[in-house]
Order: sequence, then C-alpha cells, then structure tokens
Amino acid sequence: MSDAHSIASSEHHEPSFSTKAIWKTFWILLIITVAELVLAILYYETDFLPKHFLNGIFVIGTLAKAFFIIAEFMHLRHEIKNLILSLAIPALLFIWFIIAFLWDGNSYKNLRNDYDRHHLEQSKTKAPEAKKPGAAD
Amino acid sequence: MSNEAVIHGHGVAAATHDEHHVHHHKETFITKYVFSQDHKMICKQFLITGMIWAILGGLMSVLFRLQLGYPDTTFPWLEDIFGKWAKGGKIQPEFYYALVTMHGTVLVFFVLTGGLSGTFANFLIPLQCGARDMASPFLNMLSYWFFFLASIVIFSSLFLETGPASGGWTVYPPLSALGDANEGSKAGMDFWIIGMALFVVSSLLGGLNYITTILNMRTKGMSMTRLPLTIWALFFTAILGVLSFPVLLSGLILLLFDRHAGTSFYLSDIFIASTGKALPNEGGSAILFQHLFWFLGHPEVYIIILPAMGLVSEVMAVNSRKPIFGYMAMVGSLFAIAILAFLVWAHHMFVTGLNPFLGSVFVLLTLLIAVPSAIKVFNWLTTLWRGNLRFTPGMLFAIGFVSLFISGGLTGIFLGNSTLDIHLHDTYFVIAHFHIVMGVSAFFGMFCGVYHWFPKMFGRYMNNTMSYIHFWVTFLGAYLIFWPMHYEGLAGMPRRYLDYSGWVSFRQFGDLNRFISTVAMVVFAVQLMFIFNFFYSIFKGRKVTSQNPWGANTLEWTTPIRPGHGNWIGEIPEVHRWAYDYGKDGREFIPQTEPISANESGH
Amino acid sequence: MSQAIPAGTKWWNGGKSPYNVEYGKLMMWFFLMSDAFTFGAFLISYGTIRFSSNSWPNPNEVFRSFPIVGEMKIPLAFVSLMTFILIMSSVTMVLAVANGHAGKKYEVAKWLGWTIVGGFAFLGCQAWEWTHLHHEGAWWGRNPFLNIDGTQSSTNFTNFFFTITGFHGFHVFSGVIINIIMLIMTLKGSFEKRGHYLMIEKAGLYWHFVDLVWVFVFTCFYLL
Repeated sequence: MSDAHSIASSEHHEPSFSTKAIWKTFWILLIITVAELVLAILYYETDFLPKHFLNGIFVIGTLAKAFFIIAEFMHLRHEIKNLILSLAIPALLFIWFIIAFLWDGNSYKNLRNDYDRHHLEQSKTKAPEAKKPGAAD
Repeated sequence: MSNEAVIHGHGVAAATHDEHHVHHHKETFITKYVFSQDHKMICKQFLITGMIWAILGGLMSVLFRLQLGYPDTTFPWLEDIFGKWAKGGKIQPEFYYALVTMHGTVLVFFVLTGGLSGTFANFLIPLQCGARDMASPFLNMLSYWFFFLASIVIFSSLFLETGPASGGWTVYPPLSALGDANEGSKAGMDFWIIGMALFVVSSLLGGLNYITTILNMRTKGMSMTRLPLTIWALFFTAILGVLSFPVLLSGLILLLFDRHAGTSFYLSDIFIASTGKALPNEGGSAILFQHLFWFLGHPEVYIIILPAMGLVSEVMAVNSRKPIFGYMAMVGSLFAIAILAFLVWAHHMFVTGLNPFLGSVFVLLTLLIAVPSAIKVFNWLTTLWRGNLRFTPGMLFAIGFVSLFISGGLTGIFLGNSTLDIHLHDTYFVIAHFHIVMGVSAFFGMFCGVYHWFPKMFGRYMNNTMSYIHFWVTFLGAYLIFWPMHYEGLAGMPRRYLDYSGWVSFRQFGDLNRFISTVAMVVFAVQLMFIFNFFYSIFKGRKVTSQNPWGANTLEWTTPIRPGHGNWIGEIPEVHRWAYDYGKDGREFIPQTEPISANESGH
Repeated sequence: MSQAIPAGTKWWNGGKSPYNVEYGKLMMWFFLMSDAFTFGAFLISYGTIRFSSNSWPNPNEVFRSFPIVGEMKIPLAFVSLMTFILIMSSVTMVLAVANGHAGKKYEVAKWLGWTIVGGFAFLGCQAWEWTHLHHEGAWWGRNPFLNIDGTQSSTNFTNFFFTITGFHGFHVFSGVIINIIMLIMTLKGSFEKRGHYLMIEKAGLYWHFVDLVWVFVFTCFYLL
C-alpha cells in the first residue's frame, strides 16, 4: 500500500515548490502590506487623499495579497484547472453576499436617520472630551 | 493506476482486497451497529433517528392542531401529561409557541435535512457511483454521531423548566436574544443554539464526504454525465449545505454573544414591557440576523427539496420503463436552482424594513427560480407520458410528489412578488405554500425513496396493502389539510396565533379549522401505520429473491441482495452507459454495466 | 520524478480523480471554502453594521500601542509586527511542505518547528493586544473609544473586534495544535513510513488559510 502511495505522490504532483518562488511571494506580500501601512499613516497625519479612494486601494491590495497566498502558498496555481474552477466559482457567491448585505446596511442607516429623529440627534452630539481615553496623551 | 491509488486513499485501498477484508475482521455488535463505518449502516441510523424525530415533530403538530381546531374545549388529559404547560386542560400560549417552534426546527433540520439527505446520500452515493464506501468512512461515522449529539441536546431542551426555544424556528432576535422577554428565550434558546451548532458540524462532515466521494471515487466509466439524477441532486444538496450552514453558525455565534456577553449585534433601542426596563443596547440591527439566517434558510429549503427531486426522477424513470426525459436539462436545472438558492434569500424579508429597491432585485431573482422548476416539472410529466407505468408504492409517491410540487410551487410565484407579499406574508397562505412545496412534497420524496430502496436496504419488501393505504390517505389528507389554508390566508388570517375566536373576521373559520385538525390527526395516525409497516417488514417482510427486483439499470442492483461492507464481491463493475437505457432496442432495460453492443442505436 | 499529465486526459470519466488529488486534500479545500463562508459572514456582518452606523471609531486612534515602548506615536505599528509574523510563519510552512515533497524528514521538522514558533508568537502578540485594550476599558459590550467625529460610539466596534479576532485566534491556536501533531508524527517517522508527506500539505493548507483570513481581518479592522 505504501508503494502505491509513494508512486502516487511523486507522479501526480506537478513541478514541486521552488524556494525562489516562495521568497518572491513573501516579498510581494510584505511590500503590499508596508505600502498599505504607509498610506494609512500618511492619511492619518495629512488627509492627503479622499478616504473612499484610499479604501479602494486597500481593498485592491487585500485582494492581491489573497491572490498570492492562494496561488503560491496554497499552491493552487499549480493544480489542474478543474480544481481551480471548482473553488473559484463558489467563491463568486461572495459578490452578491457582500453587495446585498452592505446595501441593506446602508439603507437601514438612512431609514433610521429619516424616521428616528432622536437617533439622528444623538449621532450628531459630540461626546464630552473627558470620556475619551484615547486622548490621554 | 497511480491516480486510482491516490483517489482511493487508505480507507478503501484496504477494501480492494475486500474478500480478505470482510472475512478476517470479526465485527462486534459495537462496530457493526453502533459505531459503524459502513455507509449502509450509517444510512439506517440516520433514517431511524429521522423517523423518531418525525413522530415527535408530527405529534407536536397534532397537539397544536388540537388547540386550533377546538379552542373552546378543555382536555384534562393534557394537563395530566404536560402539567403547567396545559393548565386546566388548555394549551398555554408559551406551550403553543414552544410547540410550533420545535415542530419547525425538528422537521426542517432533523427530519428533512438530517433524516432525508443523511439517509439517501449515505446509501446511494457509494452504491450508485460504484465505490466501496465513502471517501472517509470515519468522518462519515462522526457525521452521524454529531447529528445524534445535536438530537440529544435539542431533545433534552424539551424537558427544561422554562421550556425549549419558542421564538419560532427562525429564532429572530430581539425575542430570541432576551431571556426576559420570553420563557423560551431563557435556557431553551441556549440549548437550541448549541444543538444547531452540533448539527452544522454534522452536516459539514457529511457534506464534505458526499462531495469528495462523488467527485473522486466514481468507478471506471462512470463519467459525471452517466450519474443517475439522484447523485446529481445529492451532490448539489451537499454543496448547498457546505456553503450555507457556516453562515448560520456565524449568525448564531453572534446571537450567543448578544445573549450572554452584553453585545449589541442585533439589539438596539429596546424596552421590555414585562420588566419595565429600557436596555442600554444601541447600534445593532435585527435585520442583520434575518439576513444571516436566511442566507442559510433559503438554500436550506433546497437542501430539503433537491434530494427528493433526485429520488423521484430515478424512481419515476425506473417505473415508467422509459428514459428520464431531458437528462441534461434536469442536471442543468438542478445546477441553476443551486446557484439561485444563494441569490434570493431576502424574499423572506420583504416586510421587515428591507430596502424596497433591493427587495425588487430579490423579486426578480426569486421569480427566475420558476424557470428551472418548471423545466423539471415538464420533464417529469414527459417522462410519465406514454410510459409503461408500474404503480409501485414508490412510484405513487413519486407522482404524488410532482403533483404537490406543482400546486405548492404555483403559490410561490404569488409570494415571490413583494407587492402581493405585503398582503400575504405571515398568513396561512404562507403556511400552506411551504408545507405543500417543501414539507409534504419532501416527505413524499422520502417515502418514495424508502419504498423503492427498502429491498436493497433490508433484503425484504414492505407490505403493499399498507403502503397503498399510506399513500392515498397521506396524499388526499395533505391536500385537505393545506388547501383550505390558502383560503384562510387570502382572507388575511395571520399565522402564529393560539386562538382566533376573538376575531370577528376569522371566527367564521372555526369549522374549517376543526376540519383541518381532524384530517391532520387521521394523517398522523396513518404515518404511525407506515412506521409499523417499516419495522414489521424489516423482520417479517417478504424476502427479496432476485438481485434486481425492479429491473433497474443503476449499480446498486448489481451488488448481492444483502451486500456486506465493501458492497461488491470482487471487482467493482465498470460502467459503459448512462443510467436510463429503458425500453431501448426492444429491451426493457439495459444495466449500466453492460457494454455498448455494435449495432445499438444511440439515445 | 514528476511526470507530465498526458494531453487529452478524460478527467471526468470515472476511475480517477478529476482534480488529480487524493480525497483528503480535496476535502480540506472544500472545508476551507466552507470556513471562508463562516469568516465571510462575520466580516460582512461587521461591514453591514458599520454601513448602518452614522460614524465609526478611527483605527489609527485605537491601535497605536506597542509593548514596552508604551503609547508610541506610530499608529498600527504593533499590528504590522503581527502581520509580519504571520506571513513569515506561512513562508516557513511552505518550506516545510516543499521539503516534504523532497522527503527530507529533518528539514520538514525544522521548518514545522519555526512555523509553530511563529504561531505562538502571533498568539502572544494577540494576547498582549487584547490585554492592553482591556486595560483601556474595551471588552465585549464596552467601548471606550469615540467615533472619528467625536460622537459617542456604539459598542459594536469592540464587539466585532473581539469576536472576529478571537475567532481568528482560535483558528491560529488549532492550527498550532495541528502543526505540533504533524511535528511529532514527522519526528516519529510516520510519514516516512507512509512514503509521502501529504498530511503536512493538508495542515499547510489550513495554516495558509489562517494567514489568508488575517489579511482580510487586517484590512477590515485596521485599515478601512
């Protein structure tokens, strides 16, 4: 039985992992992460970009990182196309999952602001400064 | 060769030498009947557990139908049994809510999900794909035992001082999150959440096994397009479960935090009348839970109905002695239904404060489901058309399924329109719709499967007379129970009320309600007869003497009459054709294992 | 050693895996798909609540402490360290898997060992961060931080933070346990006896998934 397996494992796997590709992926991930951090801190200090635009960049960076982790670390890019598609297609369900939920979340906010005046007032009232522990310094 | 070794893995690699395997391992009672890793035994465990749950869940409905049919009568014997829950011989409101909640939970999850796909996925996938067992028999066994644990937890919640969960099977917060608001939201709700979490684990273990077995372990020649429709249906069912149940789990974890950790995921601006207190919770959204719940909840109804569709398609083709009409269209529509299942969940929430424009998108997506459903119905009807019908009990239930699926499905088109739903939501119209289309018809699929595969499961037949009585009473009864409910619902009669006699508008339905309740009790009694027939036939039924009693093409009928662990003696047969060569070239049926002969016509 | 797959192979015809993988790995992939929906549901719920709130706390204000140095002026420094540790441990895990393919027992053990160290380091960081936030008055149901516009915030910022990072931490913890078991089995020579290190590969998939989830958690809580 173990013979069968040793043949199997050597035969059915495609070109093995190359150490070079692994480190390359590592550097890509690191660079994207550092770039995101720099942008976040720059924004915090200077407000140099509209937040929505920045969020777009963050989301793209995140998806890029996810792609590299899945493709290289999880080795999916080197599997056969059948497997890639069988995993990618169900993942598409997330698109409508996210759109519908966030859409309705936003709508809930608007409905509340329209029909619950007290809520709207509350969310415009500044809290007393003393209660702000983050501002201790 | 190598690939074969790879896909079979260690579990079944051992079984390729199964002659040795079967004879050398002495099976004890424990390994054979309790912690069995044989898919056929696990199937029976699921089936019998499901039956026990079905009796309990059915009994609950009989109790609340008793209340609805006879709201003014007292039944002292109820107090003898249920004590304070039926004070003075009358079902108390809390008890009524507990009954309807547990009736829904038990039947939806424990009978029609665990009991239905647990049974038939376990039984048919290895047998019809041509595999010795599931990909991982061990995880398969765990799947049953997690189901069993979940059952124990839910069952024990029935005996709590404060009663089981009673905020409806959809357990919407804030009601389900606040113990002060409702007796059933105390300990009962925690039991419900824990029980369901275990159930999710069970369904995940099962589903992963079903998917990998179907993909990886088909026998030689069994291409995906040669699979019987049962396997296709069970395949999509498993995918639906694997992708949607985790979302429920997340929703329930957040609910648990809301209950015990002072969080406000679902809570905002709440005042509890019974304690006179305003709660500090702020910023949560009760609609969020409904989204999370229905993201599972809607695929869940297809998890229930798809296996039934698969079983019916197979039984219908076998007993019409005709190929199934439009095989690829059947597969395609199953696929379309599986995809749409994930896109339409918010049609359960049209009147909860959902954004109306978003709602209209959901209307569109919902109505699209009518297309694949209609394709399936037409294909079943055309399969029956001019067939040599054999009215076996399984076949009758298959035809009954189609009838119920049509009549229940049509009302779905009403409810899928948000404008009509404003009037119809939360009325008896909804009750009628989903009981017919997914409750009773899924049961019909299940009965059809049990009657058809009983000879394979136990090597005996069920009693025919009892089977026919079972069919006709259940079939007519189902229509007599649920058809009048459409009428009540259109008149605006709301669901979830204990007593309608206080309403001038609905008092007129008193007699109708009594009629419905009476029929419900008769139908329930007939189900007990089915249970008797089932257990009686296991021991005393007529013995099966031929390997292929129905003259069917699929692989399970090439195994011995009572297959052992490993299913086939010797080699697993190779498959040469699809599963539906009935009535071809002057032959009644041609099994899948028969090679294509030289001068055979195409299909 | 590796052999090219013959062109025109009929993958779906039965008798072989259409994915050219053994069942365990396939099961792991589908399990991860399922788990992705668990995490997805959490993160999407977080997004939904955030979209339904008029304002939300600024992560740069909240997450800017570093052990020993205390209230550093650099926001997000500590979480960057955590991210670095996790990515690093993913690299060591791939190296363990790669060496498993080559059948080098001690190399596998070495890289697995580093992965376990990385896992513990991450958990330690998380424990420190949680303790620190707890000292600042944050916990489930308690949120001391104000919204970015200076208004009172609901508790859902901390509720989601602790629930989701907690659930992720739980995954990291179980991943570490799995890796420890793999390490023991490697050293005992169990995989050598089997002739393949497929188990390490499956454990690796799980570990990378944990890393993958962290990428999303990081974006959702610390950047957006």
